[in-house]
Amino acid sequence: MRDEENGFVEELFHADHPSLVTHHLRIMTTEEIEQLLAQQPIALLHRLARGRVQRHFRAGKRRLIEVLLRHSAENRAGFESDLLTLIGEQQARPAPPPPQAPAARKPKPSAPPRRTAHRPVEPESHEPGVTLSSWLDGLGVPPPQTFVPDAWQEDAIAKLRESDVVVSVPTGSGKTYVAVEAARRAIAENRTVIYTSPLKALSNTKYTEFSKIFGADQVGILTGDRRDNGQAPLLIMTTEILRNLLYDAGGGEIDVRLDTLGLVILDESQYIADPERGVVWEETIIFCPSQAKLLLLSASIGNPHDIAEWLTTIRPTPCHLIRHSTRTVPLRAGYLHPNGKLTPFFRTVGIPHGHPSHLHPEAKRLFAQYEDETLPSGRRR
Amino acid sequence: MPPSIHPVDLIIALREKHLTPAIVFLTSRRACDEAMQAFDHSHILLPPPRQQAIATVLDKVIAQYPSIAEHPLIPTVQRIGVAAHHAGHLPSWKIAVEELMRHGCLDAVFATTTLAAGVDFPARTVIITQSSIRKSRDFMDLTIGEVQQIAGRAGRRGKDLVGFAIVTPSPYIDLNVLTKGFTGHPEAINSQFVISYPMVLNLLKAHPLDQIQPILAKSFAQFQLNQRAEVLERKLDDLRDQMEPFGPRVCTDWITEWQTFDQVRRQKSHRAPVRRHEPPELAARFHFLTPGRVVGFGRSRGVVLRQYRSKGQKSPMITALRLGGGITESPASTVTEVSDRVLDCVDTPIYPWCTPESVEELLRHLEELPGRLPELPILIPKDNETIPDAIVQTLGDFACPTCPSRSACQRDYPLASKLRQEQHRHVKSIQALRTSLWHRFQEKIDVLQQFGYLTPAARLTDNGEWARLIRIDHSLLITELLRADAFNGADPAMLAAVMSSIAHDDDRPGAFPRVSSGLGSLLGQVRKLAVSLSPHEDPPLLRADIAAVTERWIGDPSLTWIGLCKSTTMAEGDIYRLLARTLEFLSQLRTLKGTHPGLADSASRAIAALRRGVLEELP
Repeated sequence: MRDEENGFVEELFHADHPSLVTHHLRIMTTEEIEQLLAQQPIALLHRLARGRVQRHFRAGKRRLIEVLLRHSAENRAGFESDLLTLIGEQQARPAPPPPQAPAARKPKPSAPPRRTAHRPVEPESHEPGVTLSSWLDGLGVPPPQTFVPDAWQEDAIAKLRESDVVVSVPTGSGKTYVAVEAARRAIAENRTVIYTSPLKALSNTKYTEFSKIFGADQVGILTGDRRDNGQAPLLIMTTEILRNLLYDAGGGEIDVRLDTLGLVILDESQYIADPERGVVWEETIIFCPSQAKLLLLSASIGNPHDIAEWLTTIRPTPCHLIRHSTRTVPLRAGYLHPNGKLTPFFRTVGIPHGHPSHLHPEAKRLFAQYEDETLPSGRRR
Repeated sequence: MPPSIHPVDLIIALREKHLTPAIVFLTSRRACDEAMQAFDHSHILLPPPRQQAIATVLDKVIAQYPSIAEHPLIPTVQRIGVAAHHAGHLPSWKIAVEELMRHGCLDAVFATTTLAAGVDFPARTVIITQSSIRKSRDFMDLTIGEVQQIAGRAGRRGKDLVGFAIVTPSPYIDLNVLTKGFTGHPEAINSQFVISYPMVLNLLKAHPLDQIQPILAKSFAQFQLNQRAEVLERKLDDLRDQMEPFGPRVCTDWITEWQTFDQVRRQKSHRAPVRRHEPPELAARFHFLTPGRVVGFGRSRGVVLRQYRSKGQKSPMITALRLGGGITESPASTVTEVSDRVLDCVDTPIYPWCTPESVEELLRHLEELPGRLPELPILIPKDNETIPDAIVQTLGDFACPTCPSRSACQRDYPLASKLRQEQHRHVKSIQALRTSLWHRFQEKIDVLQQFGYLTPAARLTDNGEWARLIRIDHSLLITELLRADAFNGADPAMLAAVMSSIAHDDDRPGAFPRVSSGLGSLLGQVRKLAVSLSPHEDPPLLRADIAAVTERWIGDPSLTWIGLCKSTTMAEGDIYRLLARTLEFLSQLRTLKGTHPGLADSASRAIAALRRGVLEELP
């Protein structure tokens, strides 16, 4: 499949180079194409059928032509140009040249104007992709504006008053804002807040960050062997530490002020699926005191409703789920070739959700070229 | 074509298109370090004001964490505005890089994908160079969630209008994984609930045994198991509907009835053709016509090479080597005389059924045999078979042959029995799904009872009371070590060293300081115990070389961090993590003040000795 596409894409991009285009593209009638096809060796027809027709290797020539014509009905122009490219590649072949208008056969100088006239046919017919400039368009710094929380952020904070909340939103959407605001409210009500993260490094970062926001005396951090400002209303720790505290409380030794605990924030709670440590999140959630509200912050996961439903079954109040998949800052995907050439990755400017095959033709071509050149000879993908 | 873009070219390309700052995710730490080295002699310097800005931020971080003042990457960071950020670095260095990124001072950070969650800073652009990631021991394709988490670092809120995730090929890339990752819906996550010994002890401390099952039922694991059970239950309901027309007939359980009847019927019909016309003496003889047996055929004589039954009639046959060298196939009935001689013969699975040498040997022996040979006495059983009668009688017990619903039963049986089998299977799986957690919990209880942490009534013993405070990996090994008094008289350095070898789970090779003989023999004992516990708990790696690093750090208070790093090829960040994890383990031992005062004291002293220099910088 790659072969003839490559061939074609290459032809597209070399179109400015007249010598490479042996036959000018023009719209042929079905009869003409049929005639042309009939003149070609069957091997060429099979190459043409690759990727278009399933099980084409079973068909005889007549049947193959018939099927090819049927399958190319919507995209006649693309089919035609593929056919012509393939014929062009077979320069040495003895078959008679296809019937063409004499003017169209003239090789070079008069070609450019006519080609531009035919130009619109090509890109439309075969995978139009955005240009690099339109892909890069919009790059830049937004004008400074006062921060306005998103609706979902407001919603999460409001819902946290009466129930547990599960937030599953893409990375970088502003989960921290929810955590900070929720913590602020709980502290204002003289409640203790516990914030847990999966990694000690993240705990440290958050400790610094929250100390700046709330003031150093309002934030404490607990690790296995150290306790800084353990009486502060906002305590940061890893999830394991919180689990241990909850076990101690269950065993009768109350260590932290669990009775005043108002809010437990579990950041990166998609770690519940971690093969080694996931169980700690479950234990923490199961043993979390019922008077404290739970706020689970997680990156996009496939089944946040399961988590919310689970919390609803085991917690006193029904859990509220907040999820969305649109990013605050839109994302675009690009492809950078080792020779420094940058192209869009997909045919669309943004990411075509649900259409993994919508690759940009140029990116596809460059990657195929990369693979051909880097893979050991004789071995193909 | 180079296998991947050169880091310098990459930065030039990104700057040209205004795609900085960027996070470049690379496969390995080494790739990150090599990328940094590539800038050593490059001249793509930052304009002086930006260099100045970097210096200012760095100075601020260094004031807080002096350990990074001499960091070898600082010159490159300042000149070019690129940095490396991976698990091999000290946390304080990573904080410095994050701080620089937050101030927008850097153009690019080279990071590993291993800790995508740990890279908690956004950039305008993310460069993706691989589609697989090292998980524990081997490389796995990135999941959709992981691709989105990586790509999600692109685009800073308030600082960018759009974020860019740029793929650049390298030998470790499969475009399909990435396209699927970009465009797909993240995978559903599944519970990874495991029941550990400390969990059992702590639960039983707080709750009596009969309350445990409801607590386990609150887990996400059980929630998901229930979901699966519900799916099966729905299927079961469907099956019940499908079984409706096959309800009770003349007999209440006609399926079983028909099944048994059918089986018996089949058994009977199968017996008939075989060996029906075999006279009893032939059947009795046939057993003795084994390879090597000398037999007579009328006047001539031969040796049996093999016995078999003919394909169609199943009549008894033998292959014999005759006097004179001929090999013949003949019915067993042509044998007139069975002698008591058996000649040695090495048989083979193909013609002539024994090795050529033994053919010659047999022929020679055959010729040398005397003219008359004693015959083998063979007992011939009396011909009184009663088995068919028995079956006829059994068949008589069934009502089926004359039952009015016989034809319906015969028609419906295949489908009905298939449905019923499926029903049974579902019922069993549902039961397993509902109770598996509880069974796993009980298995752990059994082990803990066996080791004496729990009473037969599943209450905590004195040992259990303190053992429940050890809530780390390999807890059973550690508590058993304490019970065996393994650390009696061991100094803090030794204790910490053993703990770090238990805590460390990375098998990265390297060069390390020498292990002291005392530590070596102690580790030998630990290893022995770990192996004996292996049916109940996976043994840790217990690397002695790793233990030596910790031993040196605690044993020699004058040793500087640089000095420690020079004594091993381990990366700074790995040493830090090793010591930090050791601290965690030791602090659990420290909680055993009440029952093991000596050990707790030793652990406190080890903690105090460990916490110096770099390890004191962060909480």
